Amino acid sequence: MAKNDLQGTLDLLVLKTLAQMGRLHGYGIVQHIQRVSDELLRVEEGSLYPALHRMEQSGWIGSEWALTETGRKAKYYRLTATGRRRLDEAERDFEELVKGVRAVLRYA
Amino acid sequence: MGMGTRLRNLGRRERVDAEIAAELEAHIALAVEDAVRKGMSEQQARRVARLKFGNPVIAKETTMGADAVLGLDGLARDVKLALRQLRKSPGFAATVIATLALGIGANTTVFSIVDAVLLRPLPYHQPQRLVEVQSSDVGQQYEGSDVSYPDFFDWRAQNRSFEQLVSYHDTSLTLTGVERAVHLDGEVVSADLLPLVGIEPQLGRGFSAADEKQGTRVALISHALWVSQFGADPSVVGRTMHLSGDAFTVIGVMPASFRFPVTEPNNSFWTTLAVDNDGTPKTATANRGDHFLNAMGRLKSGVTVAQADAEMKAIATRLAKQYPDTNTKHSSAQVVSELTALLGDTRTLLLVVLGAVALVLLVACGNIANLLLARVREREREIAVRAALGAARVRIVRQLLAESLVLGIAGGLAGCLLALAATPLVLRVLPTGVPRADDAGVNLMVLGFALGISLVCGTVFGTIPALMASRTNLADTLKEGGRAQISGHDWLRSAVIVGQVALGIVLTAGAGLLLTSFLKLTHNNEGFNPDHLLTYQFETPDSRYKDSRPEFYQQYFERLRALPGVTSASGSMFLPMGNNEAVLSFDNPEKPATPGHRPSAELDIIAPRFFETMQIPLLSGRDFSAADTEKSQQVMIVNQAFVQKFFPGENPLGKKLKPGASNGGRNGPAWRTIVGVVGNVRRDATDREESPIQYLPASQLSAWCCLITVARTAVDPMSLEPEVRNLVASMDRDIPVTDVHTMHDLIGMQLAQPRFAMVLLGVFAALALVLTVVGLYGVMAYSVARRTREIGVRLALGARRGTVMQMVLRQAAVLVGIGMAIGIAATLASASVLRSMLYGTAERNPLVLALVCAVVAVAGFLAAYLPAQRASSIEPMQALRSE
Repeated sequence: MAKNDLQGTLDLLVLKTLAQMGRLHGYGIVQHIQRVSDELLRVEEGSLYPALHRMEQSGWIGSEWALTETGRKAKYYRLTATGRRRLDEAERDFEELVKGVRAVLRYA
Repeated sequence: MGMGTRLRNLGRRERVDAEIAAELEAHIALAVEDAVRKGMSEQQARRVARLKFGNPVIAKETTMGADAVLGLDGLARDVKLALRQLRKSPGFAATVIATLALGIGANTTVFSIVDAVLLRPLPYHQPQRLVEVQSSDVGQQYEGSDVSYPDFFDWRAQNRSFEQLVSYHDTSLTLTGVERAVHLDGEVVSADLLPLVGIEPQLGRGFSAADEKQGTRVALISHALWVSQFGADPSVVGRTMHLSGDAFTVIGVMPASFRFPVTEPNNSFWTTLAVDNDGTPKTATANRGDHFLNAMGRLKSGVTVAQADAEMKAIATRLAKQYPDTNTKHSSAQVVSELTALLGDTRTLLLVVLGAVALVLLVACGNIANLLLARVREREREIAVRAALGAARVRIVRQLLAESLVLGIAGGLAGCLLALAATPLVLRVLPTGVPRADDAGVNLMVLGFALGISLVCGTVFGTIPALMASRTNLADTLKEGGRAQISGHDWLRSAVIVGQVALGIVLTAGAGLLLTSFLKLTHNNEGFNPDHLLTYQFETPDSRYKDSRPEFYQQYFERLRALPGVTSASGSMFLPMGNNEAVLSFDNPEKPATPGHRPSAELDIIAPRFFETMQIPLLSGRDFSAADTEKSQQVMIVNQAFVQKFFPGENPLGKKLKPGASNGGRNGPAWRTIVGVVGNVRRDATDREESPIQYLPASQLSAWCCLITVARTAVDPMSLEPEVRNLVASMDRDIPVTDVHTMHDLIGMQLAQPRFAMVLLGVFAALALVLTVVGLYGVMAYSVARRTREIGVRLALGARRGTVMQMVLRQAAVLVGIGMAIGIAATLASASVLRSMLYGTAERNPLVLALVCAVVAVAGFLAAYLPAQRASSIEPMQALRSE
């Protein structure tokens, strides 16, 4: 049984975003997911930051404070090696979940 | 896992806090920037961003939560929060901590003492194999459990149960040849003492079998004596010391920790039974009827107490057949474990106290449970609100637990402090006869025990309400606005109160019985006037006074009577209240009996004017006088109880008896004429009846030593101590005066045990009552507070205030009534526990029980009155408007 839940999905989205974009702050992550998913996915800030901090505690992502293009200080996150391995796992889990859900939906 | 990060976070909480705030702030700023770029006004953008973001505080909290998953930080925070909560309700916190402190403090104190006295093993090798062997004969009132030497020798030779069997008895001798003569306590033992206890001397050797031979004088000395009198000189072994005129060779020094027997911590020397053998046929070691020895044995491995008991009984029966003249009244024996024999009735006393203190702890726990339950009910709404705002159930439970634990630990610490302060006080009122009490003190184990109790209390009483709270139905609680109907909690609280009242009754009834008994004891008529009596002892050693005792005493008492402040003086060998007694059989020519079946009675050997000094009424005949000498007619005096028992309805004056007390001569005991009858005295403050006594004149029994001086004074008795010491020293500088007391002191010492039991149980009963009253008050006040609205409605609908008051009082009365009924039943069922501690009252005393119920009823009424008063003064309009 694939290990998956909503939180896992959020983790997957964040990790994938960081893998694609390199360094990004929280607001940037929200924006990126919204844009790439054609406004289909909307990440709640109330869930995003706890998730970011949790993943940082787990060592999947690292962080540093840096200036934005507009000269504002923000906390930037990036993927670590552990995080990259975790992303592969999460992607596999998600594929299995989708496969499983699809199988159930197609069952006639 | 970032354990390190988390721990570091813990230390820099504030910084992390600020960082998260900054991060969230940045998020909002970026969103605003974006929106402005898309053409929104800054103000509007900011509002939209905030709206979208939701509650920043919650976001911060949950983000912080993610930072401290481990919970270490959570615990610190829980404790901090708990402290803050408790500071907000200081009354509640103080009550709980004080209650716990009292319960735990009392328990720790009593447990420290019980541990030292009852639980610690004897300080000997394999103490579980040590037993006391006693002579016995069921049904003979006056025969003690002591053994005679010839019987002991036969026991020692014939038994197969013991590795060693050792005789021992107390002695006290005067050490002379040193700077100032000192009086020493010691023990006369048989040679196997050291193998029996399994302890080696620190210096020198132990006893050998040859040391029991007649004429041998060897001694082992205590470490304390070695230091104080011999300057801790290692060459003391082999030296001679003079004890009461006899030269003893010191053969060894015992270790500082050595005590034998454990009840005599002041023993300074141990010598062999050779001192009891002067070679004559009438000597103690040859007299089968002379019972004054204790015997301790070490069971061979594999032999049980029961097997040894059976064997010793068989031996005693055989001896009784072999020596019917002396052993008919000692036809049996018993073997009991040494610890049991040592503790005697102290065991009952301590167990009763321990039981009492456990009951107090139960009552205290009941109160705490009730307080915490009430608190949870009060906070139900707060908890529901917190749950609704998203606090996890685990967090709420954890926080309630943290509060209880903080309370438990605080109470435990306060209790420990209380115990540290109270233990020395209790030890001071502890009766002197309690063995090993000197060793008691608060020790680490007991402190651990107390802290353990407090943690258990904290957890148990924290868990129950916490679990209840966690089951709270959010919606219902919020809807009701905290005015739930009678629920499970209240049931539980009522049950706790009922239990407390019952326990309070049991304790108070016990205390009441002990108080009644103690009052009976102190108002006993002693049979003499104990006011202004000075008593003290000194020895007149055989080595110098064997033949001149009567002259010495006569001269001494004359000089004592001449001292200013002394109105009368005399001496007695077995002074009443002196913890010393002897029983002597006598021959009655009117009712001849074989030696083994002769009647016996207590004995006292006295100087002239004893009855005048003690103010014991002389009912008929005359007192002894200086004219009663060894050469004159041999005489005796008896008391009223003696006449009633042995000469009922007869005039005893002029009758002849032969008490079995000889003066060591070849003729043996003499026929004595009864020349006087005196009133009864209570020989022991806790005697249940006045016993028959035979008084013999010291002037006709010069071999018997020694007389205890008793002097009636016109001034404060103790103020004469220097004068009497000088007087004795002026007659013989080598006889130190010891045991200087007033008669009231002696009586006080004998009443120490009943007084101790009464005081302690009284204190515990009062504690239990106070706690119960507080608990009942709490329950009633809470119940009234919760029913404010209901009572308001009743009043608004026309209920009279008196009716409302009655309603509340009735509720309390039901609780107290049920508790009382259970308490009375429990008291009656458990009453026999106290039987051996009671004098002059039955263990089921209806008057005491009625009084106790009245006290509890009044206390209960007081506890319920204030809340009832409050209920009846509720303003209906205000009550309805509230909430």
